Amino acid sequence: MVEVLGQIGAAMGLGVTALADAPPAAGAAATAVGQAPSALALPIVFLPLLGVILVGLCAAMRVRSKLPAWITVACLGAAFAFTLALYQKTGGGAEPGVAHAWDWINFRWGKSTAQSLVANFSFYIDSLTLLWMLFVTGLATLIALYASEYMAHDVGPGFNRFYAAFGLFVFSMACLVMGDNLLLLYLGWEGVGLCSYLLIGYFYKKPSAVAAAKKAFIMNRIGDLGLALGIMLTFVQFGTLEYAKLWPMIQPYAEAALSGRLSEVPVLVQLIPVLFTVGAFGKSAQIPLYVWLPDAMEGPTPVSALIHAATMVTAGVYLVARFLPLYQASEWALPIVAWVGTLTALLAATIGMAQFDIKRIMAYSTVSQLGYMFAGLGVVSLAATEAPAGAVFHVFTHAFFKATLFLCCGAVMHGFAGQLDLRRLSGVAWMKGWGIVGVAMLIGCLNLAGFPFTAGYFSKDMILAEAFTNPATSAIGWVLLLTAGLTAYYTFRVFFRVFVGPKEYHPGDEHHGHAGDHDHGHGHGHETGPEELDAEEAALAEESHGGEFHPHAPGWAINLVLAVLAVASIVAAVAYPTHWVADLAHNASTYYGLSAVHAADAAHHGEAAGHAAHGAVLGFNPHEVMYYISAAVGAIGIGIAYLLHLKGRRTAETAAADKLLPMLGPIPRWAQNKWYVDEFYNAVVRLPLLAISHIFRWIDALLVDGLVNLFGYLPRGTGGVLRPTQSGVLHDYALKMAAGVGIVLAVAAAAMGGAL
Amino acid sequence: MTELSMLAQADFPAVMPQVTLYHYLLVSAVMFVLGVVGFVTRRNLIIMFLCTELMFQAAGLALIGFSRFHLNYTGQAFVIFVLTIAAAEAAMALALVVLLFRRKETLDASTWSELKG
Amino acid sequence: MSELFNPILLYGGCALGALGLALALPRRGVSPQLVGALIAAIGLGGIFLALGVRAKAAELPNFLFYIFALIALGGALRVISHPRPVYAALYFILTILASSGMYLLLSAEFMAFALIIVYAGAILITYLFVIMLATEAPTAEEVHVLRDYDRYSREPIAATVVGFVLVALLATLLGRGAAALPAPERFGDAPLLAAVPGRVERALREAEAIAPGESIVVDEAGVARIDVEARTAVVTGGEGGETRVVELPADLALANTEGVAFELIAAHPGAIEIAGVILLMAMLGAVVLSRKRVELDEQARAAAPGAGAGARP
Repeated sequence: MVEVLGQIGAAMGLGVTALADAPPAAGAAATAVGQAPSALALPIVFLPLLGVILVGLCAAMRVRSKLPAWITVACLGAAFAFTLALYQKTGGGAEPGVAHAWDWINFRWGKSTAQSLVANFSFYIDSLTLLWMLFVTGLATLIALYASEYMAHDVGPGFNRFYAAFGLFVFSMACLVMGDNLLLLYLGWEGVGLCSYLLIGYFYKKPSAVAAAKKAFIMNRIGDLGLALGIMLTFVQFGTLEYAKLWPMIQPYAEAALSGRLSEVPVLVQLIPVLFTVGAFGKSAQIPLYVWLPDAMEGPTPVSALIHAATMVTAGVYLVARFLPLYQASEWALPIVAWVGTLTALLAATIGMAQFDIKRIMAYSTVSQLGYMFAGLGVVSLAATEAPAGAVFHVFTHAFFKATLFLCCGAVMHGFAGQLDLRRLSGVAWMKGWGIVGVAMLIGCLNLAGFPFTAGYFSKDMILAEAFTNPATSAIGWVLLLTAGLTAYYTFRVFFRVFVGPKEYHPGDEHHGHAGDHDHGHGHGHETGPEELDAEEAALAEESHGGEFHPHAPGWAINLVLAVLAVASIVAAVAYPTHWVADLAHNASTYYGLSAVHAADAAHHGEAAGHAAHGAVLGFNPHEVMYYISAAVGAIGIGIAYLLHLKGRRTAETAAADKLLPMLGPIPRWAQNKWYVDEFYNAVVRLPLLAISHIFRWIDALLVDGLVNLFGYLPRGTGGVLRPTQSGVLHDYALKMAAGVGIVLAVAAAAMGGAL
Repeated sequence: MTELSMLAQADFPAVMPQVTLYHYLLVSAVMFVLGVVGFVTRRNLIIMFLCTELMFQAAGLALIGFSRFHLNYTGQAFVIFVLTIAAAEAAMALALVVLLFRRKETLDASTWSELKG
Repeated sequence: MSELFNPILLYGGCALGALGLALALPRRGVSPQLVGALIAAIGLGGIFLALGVRAKAAELPNFLFYIFALIALGGALRVISHPRPVYAALYFILTILASSGMYLLLSAEFMAFALIIVYAGAILITYLFVIMLATEAPTAEEVHVLRDYDRYSREPIAATVVGFVLVALLATLLGRGAAALPAPERFGDAPLLAAVPGRVERALREAEAIAPGESIVVDEAGVARIDVEARTAVVTGGEGGETRVVELPADLALANTEGVAFELIAAHPGAIEIAGVILLMAMLGAVVLSRKRVELDEQARAAAPGAGAGARP
């Protein structure tokens, strides 16, 4: 299959180089980067772009069918196939390679290579890249298929617009992940931000969607400033932007830092990762730039699933993972990453606990899980491990189960005319046609909550273990553990409220023109078995809405995608015992050379010292005990959720949790209002800016316009002053003539001088 | 005849002292300025033209004075021409004044202000 | 000019004159014209006095000059300050007469009388005719009321200030100029005597310097043998052909008219022709203009009292 695909690639005229394997690296410490098979690598990037162009053609030809969807699915599917082929061809990216598409920026101002700025359209293929591209292209294909049914009501110009932005997004993400220089990464970074804006604001007639799109874009831009400064600083410090040339330059600094000689690393070099972190926080929604992600749920659910759960928000994680040696060379960068990630995880979990909109809850859980990932990156250290395997694994698994969760919520939204409030829905899994959705949701929730032997369980576990292994980061470990419990709680709150329990539904107000009449009677609340569904359903439908509304069960596309994702979530768990992801992470070329240091260091300090440097949790070795502790915490969370939200629940509206609320006072309300962070930003950032802009407007109108108008007034004013001299009356003219004669005589008298 | 010539200090006309010339010039200047002031001040069109005639007068006086001073007849010949021109101008001006008067039924010069800016 | 007089006195006199003028100009309410005239006269007198102080008596002009000057300037002042147009014209005639007197003092007899004949006799009469023609017909009860534009003068202050400045400047400059003029050579018109042999003969006969039959010799070129420098003439008897030199009478001089005549026709013949053409054009122009039919202006039509308004030929 690889050869066939390779021939297709060559036939498509992409890539010039031969289909040879990359030459093996010479020497353990060498990071010589060879050629990657371009014929396989370039289509991954450019097939989505081709899809965009074709969809654009559809738009121009005013196609009104689902053709754009099939085009996009086909292109993305082909890209996924090429990714698989590339993976197989390069043996999992054991040796990094560069696939060159064309020269882009090749600016030299001097003879030596130091006096040049090179940033070409080249793609860097190594294990990290391959891992990312696998789930990016895979998920993109599946979600495109899902969207073909989800967005079916919008067939026409909206459909074309959606898929064009979708394809452009995947192209940008590919540039970001596969780019071989920081500038191409930045191009992709901006591109995904743009597509996020386009897609969040898809329903551009809705003011809240437009506002959310703007918010997302602007907050991303704030982060992008940090990234841009970091890139510029990189160029200033190292003289190049290409990864292949950067790694050898970063290596000495990382070694120095890891060996304890931090003073040898220049301050500016230590600053670069901090700047990168700012960008990462913007893109991956960490404190303080996370507030855009919940609002981004205004976009269609496929968008939320792809962009804001699985791919775009992991770009920040990718950046940190890619440049981890640089982070290790800096004194502040990794602690910042770790602590901010942890705090974000906790904060988002607390907010998620108090929301009622299920998509919002999922959004906050995304923020929280991203916090986990950053924490996982941050706790990487010499003693624990060389590579952030936990974080990378969590990215991988999170992509699958979060996409599953979002798509299930989307199915619910699609089927119940936009109803997302968990107080208005109940027992969806028992309804006819919603079985697959229910199962997929359950699998996703189990993953998110960290139920034993799910993929999410393993990945979260790795992070927790790494956190506890380093004694300095034990505190992070405890906070993350607490957050895991909260995560389990709120995840199953959703599941127990919406998907199980008494069947009841109140449709939302989309597509059916109902003005939100929701309080039509309650369901009977008895737990009925599935065999009585038909009669129950009819009665239910009648009671819930006088028989006018029927829930729209998902079609084949949605069901298929959900099934595939659910299965994939389960299969991903296999990756843990096989150490597949960990190996990929280790193989990432950035860590070349460092392993030698590690080996030397371990040999130097000896095994006992190495063990002593490990932290401990509750007196036990973290790696052994973590399984049980996190399983216990997860079970506690699920149990509490059961007690509060399922046991004895009769209606959709209320549950046992409501009795608990008065005891907690105003705290739940604060949490529901997102701890007023948005209001804080409004007061501290937006209002002053607004004031300043008013001032500037005033200055502009008065000063700048005034100055210009003054220049306009001057001739008119002068004219106005001089005009009365033309009185039209003969005598005035004569008087002035006489006066003029007098002046002339006076001048003559003065000029002639002489005796008076 | 000769007695009058006596008055004019002839047997042959003697050279006029400069001071004397200055007297005549002063009178001429004052009369000229009176004409200017009158032109600028009066609103009656005809009186305005009369003031221009006054200015001609003054000029003529100065010319005759200089002619006497330089002991030649150029100034006097020039005054003849000035007289001629004054006559021609008076004729034209008065014809125009009559036309203007017919137009507006008034001799007020300030009613003609179409050139007002 | 400071040898002529103190400049401060000049300017003071000018200022006084200006003040008087300002007072004399017609204005709203009662105009102290007499007072103004007096002040102006004092100013003028002051100037003359100042002039007279520094100069030697022999250099001062004839006393008649002062009289004529005062009359002329007084008349000019009345011209510009009298509200009634007819009176202004008449005062102008007075000014002309006084000017004429001054011309006489300047040995310009011909011009003096030409001035009276042409200016006073022709131009001013024309003015008077037009004044009569162009005066608005007074209504029955308003016979003696002055028109508005006659009664009030425009901006007297500004005009007087400008006038003061002008006169001061002119006086200054003229003073400088006059002081700097070179004195002319002794005489001018004597060579012309040689051009009028008949006149010389008549004068000789009256003075009985020659016998009735004798005449002045005219040589081959047609030039009479009169020596102006030596003031002699060569006369010859009737039959004998003998010539003798005769002294010209002491008081024989060219008359002013003859001098002007020679100047005009001998030196400026072309200008005479042009002057004639100008006069012709003026006449034609006047005729053409007077034939023009003029429509009454709309405003005036609206203001005109009812019937009787309309285009007048």
